[in-house]
Formats: sequence, structure tokens, C-alpha cells
Amino acid sequence: MGVVGAAGSLALSARSWVALVVVALAVAPLVLPSFFLQLLTEIAIIGLFATAFNLLMGFGGMVSFGHAAYFALGAYTAALLVKRAGVPLLAALAAAPLVAAAGALLFGFFIVRLSHTYFAMLSLAFAQIVFTVIFKWKALTGGDDGLLDVWPPSLLKSPAAYYYFTLIVVGLCILALHAIVDSPFGYALKAVRENPRRARYIGIDVRRHQLAAFVISGAFSGVAGSLFAFYNGSVFPDFAYFTKSFEPLVVALLGGVQSFFGPLAGAFGFKILEWLISRQWPVYWPLVLGGIVVVVIVVLPSGFVGLVGGRRWRRQPAVKA
Amino acid sequence: MAPTASREGLVLQTCALSKHFGGVQAVNGVDLAVPPGDLRAIIGPNGAGKTTLFNLITGDIAHDTGHIYFAGEDVSGLPPQRLCRRGMGRTFQITSIFRRLTALENVQTAFLSYHHRHFNLLAPARRFYRDEALGLLERVGLHEQATKPSGILAHGDQRRLELAIALASAPRLLLLDEPTAGMAPRERHEIMALVARIAGDTGLTVVFTEHDMDVVFAVAQRITVLHQGTVLAEGVPAEVRANGDVQRVYLGQTH
Repeated sequence: MGVVGAAGSLALSARSWVALVVVALAVAPLVLPSFFLQLLTEIAIIGLFATAFNLLMGFGGMVSFGHAAYFALGAYTAALLVKRAGVPLLAALAAAPLVAAAGALLFGFFIVRLSHTYFAMLSLAFAQIVFTVIFKWKALTGGDDGLLDVWPPSLLKSPAAYYYFTLIVVGLCILALHAIVDSPFGYALKAVRENPRRARYIGIDVRRHQLAAFVISGAFSGVAGSLFAFYNGSVFPDFAYFTKSFEPLVVALLGGVQSFFGPLAGAFGFKILEWLISRQWPVYWPLVLGGIVVVVIVVLPSGFVGLVGGRRWRRQPAVKA
Repeated sequence: MAPTASREGLVLQTCALSKHFGGVQAVNGVDLAVPPGDLRAIIGPNGAGKTTLFNLITGDIAHDTGHIYFAGEDVSGLPPQRLCRRGMGRTFQITSIFRRLTALENVQTAFLSYHHRHFNLLAPARRFYRDEALGLLERVGLHEQATKPSGILAHGDQRRLELAIALASAPRLLLLDEPTAGMAPRERHEIMALVARIAGDTGLTVVFTEHDMDVVFAVAQRITVLHQGTVLAEGVPAEVRANGDVQRVYLGQTH
């Protein structure tokens, strides 16, 4: 993994970037006020959500418009277990991805039978079903009022403590997803993305492989949802709403879907820009965001990571024209 | 049609295989019998049904009537991934590779799948079957291109790569749909000589379609001539060349 690219002034290898970012994140609580720690916590959670989403989009070639379903299943599972059943935080966080994965298995079974637009629309439809169930099942979920006072135990209550906790959980998940992308499963997933027909002719059951990726992606989205529940201190039905489903899509596009770390970079850029602009002109944030998305897609198709000399695809040598 | 006892020794047999698209009878009652070790050319004018026949045999599309036997077993209706695992490999008329993976990764992925490792989630894949994949790439003459993204390889090299991908699944039967399409004449002979050599070394049975008659008559052991979805003639090259029907509908035409 040598130094990438030539002309770029920020030409560091992926490994150097990771080391730099990890060190910066570790010392952040020593220098930053708690507002920024909370912002960074949220960035880490959204970054995990978008990275899990991008396992499907960037590496599997499947665009889901309904990933909020698995985020919300994770969030509600953790919140309900802690609040209604008095389960300890760690057990609740462990249960969240299991429930999200079960949901992804059930819905994904039907979704992977379709492709492209139909895949996206069916994933959206299932997410709207999840939203409706949460919204209407007042006895369990609190309906529109959500579930309030979902806080972590006192040990993790301070912004710095929950920041470190989130960082560790997200870090482990990112390591796992990175290993998956580079594993034989990841190679076969990329093969399915590149050419499903050829993939069948090397013996891969394409739908089964897509479903497995869908379940893995759903499980990690569930982890992100459960972390967000305790960060937010409450959960609401709009965690499953379609606007939430577009968040990882926009974040991944901004950061770069063709790079493993693109969605993390995208989450950082997205939340920082949102903070900067909403602070000054709250009404205009969606407008500015729309403009940024257009500019990135047209001018910078490899996303923010394209700015720092990241390779378009990992382990693919730079190609001279 | 009742399958006969002679099926036992055959690698591939189709019995009365038919497929129509709307009003067009693309494949019409084709009986094909391919013994082990055969190097069989399937020729015929454009629209004769060659590619459709390949698509039926390899499970890419469902046939209307008839049966397909592979190594003596009825495989009618099996999907491509199951046929691949039973030892049926294939290449396509339009090159079909994993374009954004390197040549090496293309072949490694085929090996991973063949060895049922493609659900391994955590070990780095680049370690697996690297030597085997490099060996296959060397066999087809792509050793030096191994780490290049396959999408930027020259057309002929991409076709060689597709051959290597198909070989990684250790097929008993290889169906090559116009393996030399788009190649210069010299390269066509090279690649078919390579196929013949590999088939000879490994005992692989090969069925291929080809438009270049020089190539066909140079390498094929037997030739089956398709015309309007039916078998017009079959035999060793000399017999086919001498067949009046074949001369009339096919060889007489400019190609």
C-alpha cells in the first residue's frame, strides 16, 4: 500500500490517513468543547450507517432507498430493551443488529429478486411499512411521541465518555466491514456487481450472495441505529422515514462510493457543512446541500476522497492513460 | 424422444431440444451428441440458432421442449451456477469478465467460488489461489497483465482472460461462443490452437461456435451444421465440406 498518486499535495497512503485520523480522534476530547464531541459522535454513527449502506451500493451495485428501516429496527430494539425490559446497555446493543439483520433477511429475500429501480422502490416500500408499524403501534413504540429518556448508564453519560464508546464500537464495525470487503465474500460480491451473469457461470448463486450482503449491511445499519438511540436520548418513527433513508445515500455520494472510506469522509463533510450553514442560514441548508450534491456528482464523481488522492478502487493499481 | 443407452458415454447430449421466441423457432428439435474429448464446432449462418443453443444448454434461458443430458444425467432446467459446479464452463460471444477487478482477481474469484470459499467473510482474499490463478494466466499468456484492471486490457487479452476464468472452475465441458470474435486472423488461430492444446492436455471436451471457416476446419474434430434451428449435417470436417446441403446453404455464401 504505497503512496498514491503523484501530483496531489495530500498524497498519503490510506494507512497513513487512517493513523492520522485515529490519533486526531483520540486526542479530540482534550481540546474540543463537548458540542464538537457530540458532533463527532454523530459523524461516527452516520459514517457507520453510510459505510454499511455502501457495502451494498459501492461494492454490491445495489442501491437501497430504504436503509432507514434497519437503522430504525436497531434503534427501537435497543431503546425498547433498555426502557421496557431493563436490559443492560451492552446486551441491548448486541441485540439491535440481530433484529435489524432479521428484518433485512425477511425484506431482502424479496428485494434481491428485483434489480435497479425496482430493487430501490421495493426497499423503500418495506421501509415505509416499518415506519407505519412504528407509527401506529402506540402501545409498544409510543407512536408519534417516540420513546424518551433513552440514556446510557451514568458511566457513559458525559459527551466525552459516549464519544469514546461510540468511537470504539464504530471502529470495530468499520474494521469488520473492511475485512468483509477484502474477503473472498467481498471479491465475489464485487464480481456480482461487475457482471451477475458471469458470476453465475463461475458457480456463484447471485441472489443468495446479494441477500447475504443485504443482511450484513442491515445488521451494521442496526448497530448505527442503536448507537444513535442513546446518543439522541430518544427514538422517533422518523428514524424509519424515507428522508432518513436518503441520508446514507447522500453521505456516500458526497464522500465517494467507489472508496471504502468515502462514506466516512462524506459523513464528516456532510455534518460539518450542515453545522456551518445551518448556524448562519438554517432555512437554506437543504438548498445548499442540493447544490453541493450536484457539484460533487458532476465535478468530483469520486467524492471527497477524490480530493486527497484516494484510489478509485482499493487494490487496483493506478492506471496511466 | 427416449434417451438411448449410448448416452452413458457422452459428455453432452440434447434430445429434441426446442425453443421459440414469439413466432421464431430459434432452435427446433436439435439432437446433439458430444463424446468425451471431442473438439466440436457448431457452425451455421447468422440466426441459425447457435447462441440460443448455447444459452439453452448452459441454463441461461429455459427451453420449451426436449432434454439436456450432461455426463449422463438429465440437467434440463438447472441454473448456470449449478451446471458450473457440475463441470460445465462457458464463454460468451460478447466478452464477459469482471471489468473493474484485475485479471488476477478475476481468476482468483473463480477459484474461490469453485472451492466454495466465497462465503468466507474475514480472511484476506488476495492470499487465496494466487499461485493457481497466476498459473492459469500464464497458460493463456496473460502473466504480465495479471495486476492490471481487466477492463483496460486489449480485446484479445480480455478474451483470453475469459477463457482462464472458465478454466478455473475445472470444467469437463467448455462451451465457447465465438471465442475469436473481433480478433485478427493470426490471433484467431493462436487462441484456437491454445484451446486445442489445453483440451488435449486435460481431456477437456470443447464445443465452440465460429464464423471463420479456416479456423473451424483447422481445429475441429467434428462439425455440426445448424440451419434455421435444425441440424443440417454433422460429421468430420471432410464429410461436412463434401455435403451438398451444407455447400448450398452455408459454405457457398460469402462469410
